[in-house]
Amino acid sequence: MRKKSMLLMLALSVCLVFSSVLFAAEPPRNETLIVDILTGKVGNPGNFNFWATWVGNDKGLQQLVIDPLWMADYVTGEMINVLAKENPIYNDDLTTMTVKLREGIYWNDGVPFTADDVVYTVELSMETPGFGYHTQFNQDVAKVYKTDDYTVVFELTQPNSRFHYQFLDRWGACRILPKHVFETVEDPLSFQFNPPVGTGPYKLVEYDLGGYWFLYELREDWERTATGMLYGKPAPKYVKFIYVGDASKKAMAMISHELDMADLTPESLEVVLARNEYASGYYKDFPWAELLHPCVTGAAFNTLVPPFDNPEVRWALNLALDAKNLAMTAYNGAVAFAPAYIPALLPYYEHYYERLLPYLEEYTMEIDGEEYKIFNSNLPFEMAEEAKRRGYDVPETEDEIRVMFGYGWWKHSPELAEKLLLKNGFTRGRDGKWLLPDGTPWKIEIVCLTAATNPSFKWAFAIANQWASFGIDCEAIPTEQCQALTESGDYMVVGGQPAAEPFGSGIDLYRGLNVYHSQYWKPLGEKLVGHQSRWVNEEIDYYIEEMEKADYSDPINIDLAIEVAKLLIDGQPGVSVASFPGFMGLDTYYWTNYPTGDNPYAVPWYHWPNLKFVLPFLQPTGR
Amino acid sequence: MFRVIRDLYVNDRRFTFGFTVLVFFVIISFVSLLSPYDMRAWNAVPRYLPPSAKHPLGTNSIGQDIMWQAMVATKNSLLLGAIAAAISRVIAIVVGLLSGYKGGIFDRIVMVMTDSFIILPMFPILILIATILRSSLNMVVLGVVIGLFGWAWDARLFRSQILSLKEREFTRTAVFSGLSTFKIVLTEHLPYVFPLVMATTINNVIWVIGMEVTLSMLGLSNLNTPTIGTMIYWALQYQAIFLEMWNWILTPVTICVVLILGLYMLSTSISEYLDPRTRLQMIRKG
Amino acid sequence: MLKKYYIPRLIQYFTVLFIGLTLVFVIPRLLPSNPVEHQLSRMMSQGQYLDPSAIEAMRETLEQLYGLKGGTFEQYIDYFKRLFTGDLGPSFTQFPTPVMTLIRQSLPWTVGLLFASLSISWIVGTVLGGIRVSFPRSRLARLIELLIMGVRPIPYYIVSLVLLILFAFLWPVFPMSGGYSMGVKVGFNARFILDLLRHAFLPILSMVIIEIGGWFLQMRNVASNIVEEDYVVYAEASGLPKAKIVFMYIMRNAIIPQITGFALNIGFIFGGALITEIVFAYPGMGYLLYSAILSGDYNLIMGINVFSIVGVSTAMLIVDLIYPLLDPRVRYQ
Repeated sequence: MRKKSMLLMLALSVCLVFSSVLFAAEPPRNETLIVDILTGKVGNPGNFNFWATWVGNDKGLQQLVIDPLWMADYVTGEMINVLAKENPIYNDDLTTMTVKLREGIYWNDGVPFTADDVVYTVELSMETPGFGYHTQFNQDVAKVYKTDDYTVVFELTQPNSRFHYQFLDRWGACRILPKHVFETVEDPLSFQFNPPVGTGPYKLVEYDLGGYWFLYELREDWERTATGMLYGKPAPKYVKFIYVGDASKKAMAMISHELDMADLTPESLEVVLARNEYASGYYKDFPWAELLHPCVTGAAFNTLVPPFDNPEVRWALNLALDAKNLAMTAYNGAVAFAPAYIPALLPYYEHYYERLLPYLEEYTMEIDGEEYKIFNSNLPFEMAEEAKRRGYDVPETEDEIRVMFGYGWWKHSPELAEKLLLKNGFTRGRDGKWLLPDGTPWKIEIVCLTAATNPSFKWAFAIANQWASFGIDCEAIPTEQCQALTESGDYMVVGGQPAAEPFGSGIDLYRGLNVYHSQYWKPLGEKLVGHQSRWVNEEIDYYIEEMEKADYSDPINIDLAIEVAKLLIDGQPGVSVASFPGFMGLDTYYWTNYPTGDNPYAVPWYHWPNLKFVLPFLQPTGR
Repeated sequence: MFRVIRDLYVNDRRFTFGFTVLVFFVIISFVSLLSPYDMRAWNAVPRYLPPSAKHPLGTNSIGQDIMWQAMVATKNSLLLGAIAAAISRVIAIVVGLLSGYKGGIFDRIVMVMTDSFIILPMFPILILIATILRSSLNMVVLGVVIGLFGWAWDARLFRSQILSLKEREFTRTAVFSGLSTFKIVLTEHLPYVFPLVMATTINNVIWVIGMEVTLSMLGLSNLNTPTIGTMIYWALQYQAIFLEMWNWILTPVTICVVLILGLYMLSTSISEYLDPRTRLQMIRKG
Repeated sequence: MLKKYYIPRLIQYFTVLFIGLTLVFVIPRLLPSNPVEHQLSRMMSQGQYLDPSAIEAMRETLEQLYGLKGGTFEQYIDYFKRLFTGDLGPSFTQFPTPVMTLIRQSLPWTVGLLFASLSISWIVGTVLGGIRVSFPRSRLARLIELLIMGVRPIPYYIVSLVLLILFAFLWPVFPMSGGYSMGVKVGFNARFILDLLRHAFLPILSMVIIEIGGWFLQMRNVASNIVEEDYVVYAEASGLPKAKIVFMYIMRNAIIPQITGFALNIGFIFGGALITEIVFAYPGMGYLLYSAILSGDYNLIMGINVFSIVGVSTAMLIVDLIYPLLDPRVRYQ
């Protein structure tokens, strides 16, 4: 009896262990690109109707299956014409927008793409409460109609030079849905849209009922898609999106060559690089991370809560920080500084930072009658020296160093910070810690997200540490309620974004800066719409309104944005540290020629819709 | 009393181990108050140092001395465990024994309360509390909160023990002899139930520390205070396992294991001592 | 008998249910996360552009769709009415998918995983506990005890991570994530079942390792009391075979509290196993509940908790009703 059961157990274990070999049915590995799902496990995997906004974009939908009219590329600064054939055409008083569509595109079920689909998308959104663009289109669009099969005309309710931004894909936009599918559906809101019918070069094959992976296959008629027409045939026959778990698991997967592109933390990237000789970060060597992301990160003050309502206090807190130390603590030095609330992006360097640099170098602060120049434009070179000291390879030329580390930051001036605070009634207690003007100990809580990979978390802890060593009782509090707290204004300082994210294509910074317009301002307790810091300045309103009047590609936008930046610098509603550093891991065991620091030909992120434009350039290694 | 402890210490190996471990950790907790470093500071010391005379357990990736961190973590976790266990045991014993013995309507009402506590959705409430208290969520408060969640289950257990004990002969004898309810419960039933109490206490402490680790992992606890849970959290965040920083990741885990093992040994030894029958066995043996 | 015991117990059951269901309605609403705001910020973080008036209008629309327009008391009445028809309402984070659908998708995974690990750890733990007590001088038994109790305090996250690293990474015998493999047809066929078991092996093993200690300890304690009982001593003295004593006398009596514990734990299955799901990327309700709490998805939180409340209460009820049958001494109350 015993022997028999032992044999049975043995047989079962053998079966279990080898069932993978016997029953493997995955597509060939060297024809598949395996990519991480950035936002994690998908809640309702069978639902692909993301016009209803409750469905996530990045499980492969926006990257492979669905197309927008235009796409923003923040690496080259271009606006790519995807389903549209050319840039939008506005009439003189900006009340009509005409869009010419690309011809010869087919949906993945064989039906041709025409202007009917565009018109239907907009009309359905306007009719269906719950669709993402429902309220926006009802507000902006008076009429939409087609003049022929490939031309659509929008009549706007008021002059708006930026209406096409609704269709410009920058990690989100109003994309076009297939009329022939949606018109047969009774309730568009609960429609699952499974399988998704799109104009992109891939179609869905299979997905995990648990929400962890999705498999896509290249369409046979890929030439009839915008991607095919613009860039050629995508190299991988299959693309698998899979969420394997947190950073440790992603590292493990990449080491086992089971994951080709993933978002990692600095530490897990280090682990992967140590154990996988085929892996690399965005840069092969220091600083490894992609530093040029269209998003400024750092911290934001709640400017309605004392003592943060005093701009001199905010300046003091900024000056008490040691930028180099911050960068080293949080990211081992891999940081491109962005002190002017404008992200450190390649296109923006030319238009904005080059012009701001002289202004910043001359920027003086007057305290007690004395003037101090507080900008350190030598910082990038100091960072390069520090990196060299640690044994890393850094470029030699001034331009390259600037590209890597930004244009500089405020000087670490604790003495000036002290002067400012003393001037405003703060005092040092007996133990050296700062006291508020009313005599109570100064305690600062910096709330942040709980994801330790997120800059919100990293900056919050790094900044808290520095303020603590400056003498303020400061703590970083990661909480899942971070968003809820900032929305109702129940916080002091939040680790996050000092300004909104601009498009990254073109020169227009309107989208990044208009959150500071006073029309968005709400007092504490009321739900926020504008910027978390709830900071306003009438002069900014003027410049933003001027931007609205101008055409989006008008160079005057640059001048206006620079004025706004100057006002933001004066007011310092936050701590504008650096662009979002992205630590991505790339495995070149099966695929090479990713867009990297040495070869930045496109947006490198796999969770951005630009992935489909990268795929034609990938090369299989033949393993 | 001291003679008993000395006897047990000398004769029962389990007691020796458990008692030593407990005393050791309590001493460490007191020593930790002398820590030269501010526990919340990063980069207080150079990072990645291997063990040396200055840093007996080395330093971690955030620039903190591991040994002092571990000491403070022990103190905090012990404090948390003690408070939570104490609160939940006391409530569980009182509720369980009294309710089981009294019976009737009193029992019913108390059972409704107990059951309501058992079915309470713990997670949402913990998140709610963590959000409201945020930074004032120190070990004492957390201990009280966790303690309030941990009594209901065991109260039921004690009650069911009492229910069966109630019908036993020695209980009836005590009742007929005129002992009051309280005295009966205290002198007759409690010693009988005590081994079970000890066992559930160990369970409880393990659960409390585990809960604290889970909360830290999910970011619901104060990540600035060193506890066993937060030490593990930071070590994992910085990939201590893969970067083979064994001193960082193994320290809190080892402390956890040794502490609980020690408590376990201590509790089995004490409960065997308290139960007269097993005490006789022990004397017989050694 | 009926009046004195059963009816009051049933009243207790329904009272507790009512309190629990009410609590589970109130508590999510006290959380700071507001589902409408959460959805709005989610929309905007997905790249959608909305100006302030559009946001206000969207807020109105969402409140309407979510049914959050009326006063709290009306929503409360509505909630109970819907409960009786088994309708748990639509989820806010996956609108308008009904909560029931979402639960139905994840429930089988959770139940399968937790029931399997509960059963295995219960059986093995109980048997080992009984053996330890029945053969107090056995060195093997003591060694096993040391092993079990030594592993138990290790934080669960570490145990699962180590298992994963050892058996899915360093020696890739088992898969690293997921509930089943790609390309395997979901259904009642041998291939799928084997694949399923293969993916579930490590998660179940990790839970069993940790849980065995609890059952072992409890059994050991209860049984050690029994071993000293007169009737056991008498049985030993009269020369009954050891196996019979161990099973018919010791275990049979010690098993009663064990069964109680088992039944109660079944009720808790509906809470899911969050960390297991996170470490092994295994589908289930733990993560569903967790993300629902974070995003303020009232209906989903309520829905999942309704299951666990009903499950636990019913388990307790059944245990209480069966207990007199198992323990004759209680019967004569």
